[in-house]
Amino acid sequence: MPLHRIFIAVILLCIVPVCSRADETVTVVSWGGVYEAAQRRAIYDPFTRATGIKVKAITYSGGVAALEARADAEGWDVVDMIEDQAISACDAGLLARVDVHQIADADQSIAALDDFLPGSFRACSVAQNVYSTVFAFDDRAFLGEKPTNVADFFDLERFPGNRALQRSPDVILEWALMAEGVPISQVYDLLSTDRGLRLAFRKLESLKGSIIWWQDVGTPAEMLSDRRAVMASGYNGRFFSAKQTTNAPITIVWDGQVTGYEVWAISHASRHQDMAQKFLRFATAPQQMAALAELIPYGPARRSALSRVGLHWKTGVPMRDHLPTAPQHSNRALYGDSLWYARTKELRMKRFEAWLSGY
Amino acid sequence: MTGNEQTLPRAAGNAFYRISTMTVCALVIGLSVSLAAIAFVEAVAWMNNALLISPRMRVQFDGSQWLITAATILVPAVGGLLVGVLLMKLSPEKRPLGPADVLRGVQTALPLPSGRAGLLSTLAAVTSLGFGASVGQYGPLVYLGAMMGNVLDRLNLRIPNFAAIAMSCGVAAAISTAFNAPIAGMVFAHEVVLRHYSIQAFAPTTVAAATGYVVANVIFERDALFLVQFAGVQHGYEFVLFGLLGLLAAGVAIGFMRLTLRCADIAMRSSINPVLRPACAGLAVGITALWLPDVMGVGQEALRFATIEGAFQTWELGLLVIAKIGLTALCIGFGFAGGVFSPALLIGILFGALCWMLVDATGLVATSGIVAYAICGMMAVTSAVIGAPLTTILIVFELTRNYDLTIAAMVAVVFSNLVSYRVYGRSLFDVQLARKGVDLSRGRDGARLSAKLVSELVVEDFARCTLDEPAGKVARRGSSAPRSEVFVLDQNAHLAGVFDPRDGAGDPAAPVSSVMEPVTLVFDETTTLSDAMRQLEGFVGDVIPLVDAKSNRFAGAVTEAAIIKAYLRATHDLRREENATA
Repeated sequence: MPLHRIFIAVILLCIVPVCSRADETVTVVSWGGVYEAAQRRAIYDPFTRATGIKVKAITYSGGVAALEARADAEGWDVVDMIEDQAISACDAGLLARVDVHQIADADQSIAALDDFLPGSFRACSVAQNVYSTVFAFDDRAFLGEKPTNVADFFDLERFPGNRALQRSPDVILEWALMAEGVPISQVYDLLSTDRGLRLAFRKLESLKGSIIWWQDVGTPAEMLSDRRAVMASGYNGRFFSAKQTTNAPITIVWDGQVTGYEVWAISHASRHQDMAQKFLRFATAPQQMAALAELIPYGPARRSALSRVGLHWKTGVPMRDHLPTAPQHSNRALYGDSLWYARTKELRMKRFEAWLSGY
Repeated sequence: MTGNEQTLPRAAGNAFYRISTMTVCALVIGLSVSLAAIAFVEAVAWMNNALLISPRMRVQFDGSQWLITAATILVPAVGGLLVGVLLMKLSPEKRPLGPADVLRGVQTALPLPSGRAGLLSTLAAVTSLGFGASVGQYGPLVYLGAMMGNVLDRLNLRIPNFAAIAMSCGVAAAISTAFNAPIAGMVFAHEVVLRHYSIQAFAPTTVAAATGYVVANVIFERDALFLVQFAGVQHGYEFVLFGLLGLLAAGVAIGFMRLTLRCADIAMRSSINPVLRPACAGLAVGITALWLPDVMGVGQEALRFATIEGAFQTWELGLLVIAKIGLTALCIGFGFAGGVFSPALLIGILFGALCWMLVDATGLVATSGIVAYAICGMMAVTSAVIGAPLTTILIVFELTRNYDLTIAAMVAVVFSNLVSYRVYGRSLFDVQLARKGVDLSRGRDGARLSAKLVSELVVEDFARCTLDEPAGKVARRGSSAPRSEVFVLDQNAHLAGVFDPRDGAGDPAAPVSSVMEPVTLVFDETTTLSDAMRQLEGFVGDVIPLVDAKSNRFAGAVTEAAIIKAYLRATHDLRREENATA
């Protein structure tokens, strides 16, 4: 290498740390509430301790629109996203590309690619945990027979009372078909037809007058606690935390759970791509993944992390039993097809809004 | 049985050798066929996705409607063109192969069409299904299984009936894997292919079917094909309705089979180039699918919707039944490679659902819901088409794992089969074969005897003479030959009569034409053993001359003793096959 190039390289090496020291904060966007608190404890704080880079947390409620509207103005670097929304955002050019080589291998000399669950790597995202949309019921509402499956969710006769549902076509249409007796393996196939959509909305129609909508992921557990609803759809981790921390009288029904990957992605508008990548590498290491699963029961996306998951840090509950991926829960689980969700979002949203306007 | 065994080759006399070899072969066949069947099904699913046939893919391109429309119209037509080229330009048979060919091979002991024809037919079937033609996948899978089983016959393992059993093993493994129903696979091989029950065949087909099941279930963890929830039949009188549904389903099945063969006739007579025929049918499928997307491909989604109340309007069901019957008949008649099994399932289930909706609309009787009627209709139509009541009953049992539903379906299946057997024939395959001269309605003996030609028994050491030779000279020639009859030929070598010196020559100088007897019975090279046995009734004499059917020239003669010996041999072989233990 010619001498002048070495000289330039040395100068650059001196300048870069100085520059980064001047702005040592990475902005990480996540979902707030107990989930973000768990992330701070398991990932953000250890990251700051290890690298000296501070983490600025911003809260959002998911969605590609939020990314489009806020990322640039608020200086988003790393975003915690639902996989199908990450796919849409990636297609829209809102995310930076992520390479598998940026991810650390596990300790046991297993290549990262083999360590992650299948389909964890997409063009702009890498899976971090497996979450699940389930429904839970208020224990006080049903003293006799308890709801045990998806069909019970739609059974107002045996289980009267309000249903709290996310104001979105995700999951609820799938449940509607399952309640019609469609086997889990055929749910997406049937929901892809006009006839299937009509059937699903017909089933939803049977809940007419008993649905209350939620938009913020923290609310369904509250709605059960304060008796606004007797059953509610929501993320399994939120229900679990409500029960553990506030002793809310909530029981989760795992039948028909719809699982999906929660992913990390880097905003295309990020002005700190290097730091963002450093954060991504740190956050997806097995230690951090396992630590998160001990705080909130979302299954780690790496096999090497799963074997590290132990007891809940405070209550001592064995956390592996509460993960969506636990064997006793995966019998009747629908594994979310993110690509399908991403590509059919517009159509389902259109039909959902049309149905809502007549609701 | 000792006498029989002595006539077998030495190695085959060892029961241990036969049992162990047969079991190993059944394992090998079961394993390879089920892997091939899975590959077949996966390839079709992959193509359905890639070519925008499957609804799950189509919906993802809902935004670009022009793309969906173009794919709907063009994909089946292009598929038809490919199938036309594969079959008409490259295959020596110039047609797709299916269960009827397997049936012919097993029942008549004639060889299967060439391996090249079989592979091309399989490829054409994958193409047909992958490009969304309205045909089924089980027919091609049955042929694929039999073809792979038959490959082992080349090893010449010196086991009696090996080819038939090996082919049945392949069929059993294919059905077992594709339906995830091992018992049905084993029974199908017996009921449709072998058509007899012997321990010698039962053991290997069971091994092959179980192997297929293990591969599909344990190794690949494939789901059961058609799980439904059904609480049970709630009213006793509903069994009468199931029976009635069976009778009506027989009508639908007969209509479907008639139309399928009619379409083939129309295609034959039409002036359309055979290479282009499947493309025409594909175009019809595509255009219909613009309004009725359910008609494309195997129709898994429609199959499921038919079991859900309110998924279809009554008129939609009626329209779909008619469209599916018409398009499937068109696709198969016009040369797409594919079976009738899956379309029959779909037609049947839609018809069953339709019947339930009509009954329900009257409001006269309470019923146990749409599921039972849909499943009854599905199985009643299918069993009549493939001629396998026992198999279809077991398929219901294995697919739904529901005992109540099986009993309900059993009633419908039996009545459907009874009617269609009487009115039309045992199955579409049997009727197809009968049209090609292999009549299985007279039992296995009839088929086996129809496949043997008397020309194989011809002896040529007969004396012959011309019309004007003196009788005395001819008589001397006859008595020095191994057989006394002398055949008298005219100048064109056409048979003029027969002269037996033992009858007394009369005037030795008179020409033989004046003393010869006329010929009362003549065979030609197309005469089968079965024909010969029928014609021998009332025939007096020892030998029957055989002439060339085209030129009418004398070609030799067959002795009555040889024919009877061959007949006894054939029936004896069949009896031995049916009673074989190992």
